Amino acid sequence: MSQDRFLDQVTALLPALRAFGRSLCGDPARADDLVQDTVLKAWTNRDQFQSGSNLKAWLFTILRNCYYSELRHRKFEVEDPDGVCASQVAIAPDHDAKLHLRDLNRALQQLPVDQREALILVCATGLSYEEAADVCQVAVGTIKSRIARARDRLVDLLGEDAARGVTGSIPVAEADEPAQRIGTS
Amino acid sequence: MITMSEKTKPDEAEVGPNADPVEQIPDWLGGRLRRMFAEMMDEPVPDEFMALLKQLEEKERGS
Repeated sequence: MSQDRFLDQVTALLPALRAFGRSLCGDPARADDLVQDTVLKAWTNRDQFQSGSNLKAWLFTILRNCYYSELRHRKFEVEDPDGVCASQVAIAPDHDAKLHLRDLNRALQQLPVDQREALILVCATGLSYEEAADVCQVAVGTIKSRIARARDRLVDLLGEDAARGVTGSIPVAEADEPAQRIGTS
Repeated sequence: MITMSEKTKPDEAEVGPNADPVEQIPDWLGGRLRRMFAEMMDEPVPDEFMALLKQLEEKERGS
């Protein structure tokens, strides 16, 4: 792949990288720092990228490594119990849909990061189980297990809020919807 | 003797190979996840990123 083409593709993937970074750390500014590190590392190691393979998965892997490396350096993860950082991810809640997304964001940040990343990679970014397993360097079954746990926890968290009317942001009709199934398309 | 992948945490029993947990995600939750991610992706990329990429491109051409 020519260098220009490599950069073009990286540029096209910036929005997805920023969104993945935000989903991981819940902090837009920190996520942008991670993306910047990712771009620089990808550029430095571009010779290691095999043309024809999945650039998005490769970049997600680098970003994830940057994130965990940063965590190791910090020796602890900054907690966000009040969802202060997470609330910045969503746009100001000016209607129900925004409130839904803000609630989801907060709930996501309550998940263990390994469950959060598995869920986001497969359900939001569109990677396959196999690609997500490569990114996270675990077995496919582990990715599936983490997604199942994340799903159950989010249903608990968001369902409880809806039932109690805590946020008032999840319409009863929606909360009462039968658990329909979705595809991965 | 039960063995476990080193990559799997003790409380992470692997699901069966045919299980598809994504298919069991309720529509309302799957829809919100995709919407949240799409909204984040729709946000404009800050100029700093474009400047960084341009800088890398120029560096490559200059070398």
